[in-house]
Amino acid sequence: MTVIETLLATALLAAIPLMLAATGEAIGQRSGLLNLGVEGVMLAGAFVGFVVVEAGAGMAFGLVLGALTGAAFGAGFGLAATRLSANQIVLGLGIAVAGEGATGYFFRERFGSSQPLLEAGMSRPFAAYADIPMIGPALLEQRWFVYVALFLVAVVGAWMRFGRPALMLRAAGESPFATEAAGVNVTRVRLLAAVAGQSLVGLGGAALALVEVGFFTPGMTVGIGFIAIAIAMAGRQRPLRIALLAIVFGLLRGSGTAIQLTDFNVQTEFLEMLPYAGVLVLVVLMGRQVRLPRALGTPYERESRNA
Amino acid sequence: MNKMSRYRLILIVGVLLSGLAIPLTATPGVAAQTEVERVAIVSPASRTNQGWDQQAIDTLEAIGDERGIEVEVVEEAGYDPVTPILRDLAADDVDLIICHASGYQSECPEFANAEGIPVVVTENPGAVLEGLVADIETQAQEVAYLAGVMAAAETETGTVAIVVSGEPPTWNYMTAGFAQGVHDTNPEVEIIYSVIGEAAYDDAPNARRVTETVITAGADIVFGMGNGSSFGIIQAIRDHNADADDPDNVRFIDVIGDKSDSEAGEFLMTSVLFDYTDVYTQFIDDLEAGTFGTIYTMSLENEGVRLLEPPIDIAPETVELVEEAEAGIRDGSITVPAISDAGELESFLDDLSEGDA
Repeated sequence: MTVIETLLATALLAAIPLMLAATGEAIGQRSGLLNLGVEGVMLAGAFVGFVVVEAGAGMAFGLVLGALTGAAFGAGFGLAATRLSANQIVLGLGIAVAGEGATGYFFRERFGSSQPLLEAGMSRPFAAYADIPMIGPALLEQRWFVYVALFLVAVVGAWMRFGRPALMLRAAGESPFATEAAGVNVTRVRLLAAVAGQSLVGLGGAALALVEVGFFTPGMTVGIGFIAIAIAMAGRQRPLRIALLAIVFGLLRGSGTAIQLTDFNVQTEFLEMLPYAGVLVLVVLMGRQVRLPRALGTPYERESRNA
Repeated sequence: MNKMSRYRLILIVGVLLSGLAIPLTATPGVAAQTEVERVAIVSPASRTNQGWDQQAIDTLEAIGDERGIEVEVVEEAGYDPVTPILRDLAADDVDLIICHASGYQSECPEFANAEGIPVVVTENPGAVLEGLVADIETQAQEVAYLAGVMAAAETETGTVAIVVSGEPPTWNYMTAGFAQGVHDTNPEVEIIYSVIGEAAYDDAPNARRVTETVITAGADIVFGMGNGSSFGIIQAIRDHNADADDPDNVRFIDVIGDKSDSEAGEFLMTSVLFDYTDVYTQFIDDLEAGTFGTIYTMSLENEGVRLLEPPIDIAPETVELVEEAEAGIRDGSITVPAISDAGELESFLDDLSEGDA
């Protein structure tokens, strides 16, 4: 593999956890729920997935458990945000902090000061066809989960765009009172959106630990969760746009390393800023009509309409 | 005045006098003998990172156990202002605070001056103040030079990489020493220098991506300075070697700790080990003797920094070269540059690659 091929391959791989987390967050946002706790949920999914795989379970089982962990967080968040009308901002920040703290604590309880690493045990189903120059290794030499994740994002994209569920989801986020008047249970829609969305976030975390990195270490998301929230908003809650932004972010991040390998003398601070600045430029270019769901972040209470 | 109220008066006067006495005995700049009962350490990252944070905390706790000193550990303090943490520790009556990050090098002396509690800082010799502020200089460039000699002699591809999680003085010293060692041994060897991020000490995912890239660029020996992110470097090498024909295809040189018992042991060439035992013992002794407030340099000479015995097979000729270089450093015939500033380091590396150094 050449340096460029490696950069493309690692950029796509790095985009997968971000893409899954941002897509999951987008489902919630579309329904009117803003969960700022993505970072904590990703860490929880990563930790649970890692623990079971390290204990001998298969990668697929670890990924599923990571998703279920996310779903559990989603249920908690959804219940608090809908049934208890809790402040979503405070709730989300609480989840972010608690997720980081709890995973760090349990990691130490479980592993002490050791740092176990997983074997690279995931097959690459299309590696035999990866001899196309430049893009071959990036597209065809990935581990099987990368293709599953891309397929999943495409399916969610279609689900969020077409049919009655997509309409209900959007209506709950735009005009919950009108939606309720039309006979749709907004609370239930939001609750289901929280569970489904955060399960993808948990899966993203598990993918980070199991597929991309091969181990768990406390705080390993280093801000990916917050980038996912921004990308979900900038991508207008559309999974295909989100996927594109995630890949661009991964590419720009990798390009910092590539630039360091050249003879150009560029400040490290600039290289570190590059992916964020790049996504910002894309957001400006793509997102002139970016608008968030009208009821995003506001609790829905049937009684409050008459108040 | 009855008996009870007289006692009360005595008690109040006594408390007031004690209150006055504390600042008098702890006036900045005045060294005083102190029986050390409680020592605290403030560390930026997790104590499980098998690197900078763990090495210091484990050492201090071992000394505490041995000498019957209570050790209070504040880990994962990050790089945000730590003064509130220092105040909490002061409220716990600690006798000494070790500020274990170059990021705390200005905040901790200010706190010591304001509160009169002795602190130890890292890489800030200018802040040293008798009785209040002591400094640790980790001059690891000489040992890193030896690691560079080993890398240059062992590389088969003719390319070695330096991967760092930031550009603090400690990492810069070692980068310069390593690069000089490589260059002096074989000027033809190409050195790739790659920074994971500005303060990417725990950014394991990005460390992994950077390492994969430098390996693709031809590096078969990676000198990694990461802390928590080191595991990303290790996992990238491990996965690469699992796919490669030769299991020793890429080898790793670590810093600070000894990971030879971990998964990295299969390809760990050596490590620039930091041993804080002598320096921490010295500071506690100094505080008790009333001579606190000096600069303590950890170096090859006092074995505060040393090279780990290679856990994997190294050619005897390489070992000989390293021994010769060590002798040269000790007798002064080899001088290793001490560069702490990131800008100066980049110029130095450019000069080396152009053959000007």
